Amino acid sequence: MFKQVSQRKKRLGSSAFPYVMTVPALILFTIFVIAPFIYGFYTSFYQWDGLSDMKYIGIKNYIYALQDETFRLSLKNTFVYAVVVTIFKNGIGLGLALLIANQIRGKAFCRTALYMPVTFSYVVVGVLWTWIYNPTFGILNGMLEWLGLDGLIQGWLSDPNIAIFSVAWVDIWKWIGFHMVLYLSALQSVPKTLYEAARIDGANKFDEFIHITIPQINSIIVLNVLLAITGAFVNNYNLVNVMTGGGPFNSTETALTYSVKTAFSYRNLGKANAMSIILFAIVFIIGFLQFKMMTKDAD
Amino acid sequence: MNENSKKKVHYKKILAAVPKWIILGFFLVITIYPVFWMVFGSLKSTSEFYLNIWGLPKTFLFENYINAWSRGQLGMKYINSILTTGLFLLIVIPVNSCAAYALARVRFRGRKLIYSFLLVGMMIPGGVLGMPTYTVALKLGLVNSIPGIALVYAGQAVSFGVFLMRAFYIGLPASLEEAAIIDGCNRFQSFLKIVVPLTLPGIMIQVVFSGLNTWNEYFLASLMLRSDEVKTLPLGIMSFVGEYSTDFPQMFAALTAATLPMIIIYLIAQKQFIAGLTAGATKG
Repeated sequence: MFKQVSQRKKRLGSSAFPYVMTVPALILFTIFVIAPFIYGFYTSFYQWDGLSDMKYIGIKNYIYALQDETFRLSLKNTFVYAVVVTIFKNGIGLGLALLIANQIRGKAFCRTALYMPVTFSYVVVGVLWTWIYNPTFGILNGMLEWLGLDGLIQGWLSDPNIAIFSVAWVDIWKWIGFHMVLYLSALQSVPKTLYEAARIDGANKFDEFIHITIPQINSIIVLNVLLAITGAFVNNYNLVNVMTGGGPFNSTETALTYSVKTAFSYRNLGKANAMSIILFAIVFIIGFLQFKMMTKDAD
Repeated sequence: MNENSKKKVHYKKILAAVPKWIILGFFLVITIYPVFWMVFGSLKSTSEFYLNIWGLPKTFLFENYINAWSRGQLGMKYINSILTTGLFLLIVIPVNSCAAYALARVRFRGRKLIYSFLLVGMMIPGGVLGMPTYTVALKLGLVNSIPGIALVYAGQAVSFGVFLMRAFYIGLPASLEEAAIIDGCNRFQSFLKIVVPLTLPGIMIQVVFSGLNTWNEYFLASLMLRSDEVKTLPLGIMSFVGEYSTDFPQMFAALTAATLPMIIIYLIAQKQFIAGLTAGATKG
């Protein structure tokens, strides 16, 4: 009986079954992920408006892109955006998680409420906050006026010095709950006995946080940070496009929004793809680290 | 300890909790109030909108919704979004489940190679390749079509979905399939009848995570879906905002109409949402 089963298993194992099962995934993945990557890389060496014939120009697109002041500014903006977003998403997320971790009453409510924006689309969130920032009827300036803090009233999206931060805040606002939930589950997995032992040794709350909590949830902190960075590099397109269109004076232009403009408004697909590849090269390292983190204990 | 000092300790505890609740309250208000503000604004008249910024509307103008719905053709946008997300899930869930099952449970030549190849996608952050993806879709004639964009979304969801599902299949005991095979099932039947029902939680995580991503997706959609009849809800909201930029209550109504159903679904199924999205973003 046992022999029969194993023989049958052998026969089935060598059949076409596993290949038939994996082929659809392989085809879809190759056409819509691998092919665009290769094709984008290929066209980045050509001068091309998307319609007429392509002309090979070597690495000139890359040189043009890096010489382009707006592109350099957009890269800088992308970095500023990513750093601000990563720090605040994690700082606030971890802070709130610490506040409600030992809470019994109100914990479920806080989690449900704070997590809600995660389910909203960037378009909805972006439009909503554009109105909140609105100088005539927006509630942010209205609130500051009501509190008597007239000095803080700003043109949140029209002042080139702060517009990028106003946009970044919306991204932070949307994801606070997400990071909070990840930190909460990490905090709950820290053994209670560690804290009890520390208290006997006379440690205060701050010591506990530095010497027990942080080392215990270290891997979740790293994962949260990586998730926030990769997200920030990509998601800025949605909010910038909805809220400012890259203005005022390119102060919120990011690498993605500028590459799309280069392709569609300036009809320069070769240069746009060169910009995409440059951005990809930058994000790849972070993506690789995140991938390593996620697969570390999988096999 | 006498009664008095006990009470003192109690008060001290309450006092210590005050800053904590002020901070929590602040974040709760800035999260929830904008949503209420949106709903309130959608029911006001244009003049009340400017005069009464904060509070409840004095009169409930539901006609804002009727106007916004017909002007923005929101019904059609809803149908387009449902079709896109539905089609996407119909493609990606079976495709990923089959591939993940074979990679997890069957020993065959090239298994490691295929799995590593599929995982390469996880190191390519989606969206960075938006432009090149659009160019390939253009060449294949998939631009401006709902099945076209559903296929693109499916292709981009393969890596992560296979990674996630494989983790679920690996944990199953081998005896289950052996029993099914003894009973006369072939490999595929045993997968469909025995394995799939057992791994429904994993499938649900994928449905919530990838489904919501697709429902809300804007970047690729804005590149690929150009004409009005194929636009999804996020695109519809954007063009509505662009066209009727002065009629604020109606814009708020359009926005509310696009968000409220999602909020209600979230509140009903919040456990699945939170579990699905966080597990989806980290791993199974």
